[in-house]
Amino acid sequence: TAAAPRPWKLFGAMCLLRLPRITQPLEKEEEEMAALMEQIELEKSQYSDHEIRKLEEEEKLKRRKESMYDDDEVLGKTVIMAQDLEEKWEQKLLQFKPAPRITDADKNNNRTSLDRKLDRNLMLLVKQKISNQELWLLPQVEWQPGETLRSTAERAMAMFLGDHVQAKILGNAPYGIYKYKFPRAIRTEDNVGAKVFFFKAFLQSDDLSQAELKKDYLWVTKDELGDYLKSEYLKKVNRFLLD
Amino acid sequence: LSCVSSSSWLPQAGPSRGSHWQTSLLAARASLPARAQPKKKKKVDVKKEQAQKDRMKKKIRKLEKAAPEMIPIEDFITPLKYSESNRVRNLPPLSFEETERRVLLMKKWCLFKQNQDKAEKAAIQALVEAQQEALKELRLESEELYQAAIRRDEGLFPFERDGPDYTPPLPGYDPPEGKCVDITKVYTQ
Repeated sequence: TAAAPRPWKLFGAMCLLRLPRITQPLEKEEEEMAALMEQIELEKSQYSDHEIRKLEEEEKLKRRKESMYDDDEVLGKTVIMAQDLEEKWEQKLLQFKPAPRITDADKNNNRTSLDRKLDRNLMLLVKQKISNQELWLLPQVEWQPGETLRSTAERAMAMFLGDHVQAKILGNAPYGIYKYKFPRAIRTEDNVGAKVFFFKAFLQSDDLSQAELKKDYLWVTKDELGDYLKSEYLKKVNRFLLD
Repeated sequence: LSCVSSSSWLPQAGPSRGSHWQTSLLAARASLPARAQPKKKKKVDVKKEQAQKDRMKKKIRKLEKAAPEMIPIEDFITPLKYSESNRVRNLPPLSFEETERRVLLMKKWCLFKQNQDKAEKAAIQALVEAQQEALKELRLESEELYQAAIRRDEGLFPFERDGPDYTPPLPGYDPPEGKCVDITKVYTQ
């Protein structure tokens, strides 16, 4: 006899990722290889116009010093040497100050800001009340009949971040699932447990000032998830996260 | 047609030739100079113009039939000024230690890249497995939701994203102004 279907409550959860904005630092082998590639490229190359000009001017300078030419030739025209140009370019580069790769948020370890850890993925975690317990979770909301699971996840995102969030949801299919049974006290024939389906989305806009963040939230990397999530939940979430 | 009409005006005095209509034509031309001349010019001009047009059309057709010229790929043609001998760099030859170091570094790099590739493939495999499990559970729950999940997402592709840079954007940065003049040569066949 076929077992009767055990009804599980369905939840849709959204894993919102802020993609990295700067490149990760190179590994040791990568740096060595990059240096080697530059050397080989230099060896295989030929002189460029600028380098030839530089060599010729050096030759002229040397000849002038050795043989004491008449200075009239030189004083007549104001010659800009290639060396001077190079120095000018160096100066200009030194004047430019790029934005720092390690931001203030990094230094203060301000986990609610999006400017932290610019070279890694950041995920949104919110504090939710599940059966009298306040837990840190990926934003989730219960599924209502008549909508697809993807729209449930979108609703979850909108509930915590407001309607103006621009996020690109990656497809209609869920990426992971977390199944749990309710504690025996609450469990009934019709209400065994819950299944949480996770969806992934990329945050498009970096500006969340318009978003109304209602409750406690955090942006954390994959390594820091362990500080907040429970072990079983964390295991399932780690399965669909790339770092 | 014209010979039939002019045969009725046979002139009285005229050299008798074999083709009687030719003489009548000639006589007609001589006898009616005022009326015939503008007509002659138009006819001759029209004929000349038509002949010219035909010649032009023939030339165009010949040109079109000829095979189209190949567009030269500028990247494959090295300009002559770069094959002069003064361009060759003079560097000291590599020492034995240097070549050894390079070979060993290449081997290390090969291994590094292989491990990196294996790790990437394993990660993708894990991702796919997790998704398959999720879809299996969903199917157990409700077929309708499963079908909705399997459907292709039309709005996903084309997906565009700017890659990460070395430093984050500087707020309030004013880039220096300049003009870019495009001097690429455009060839038409």
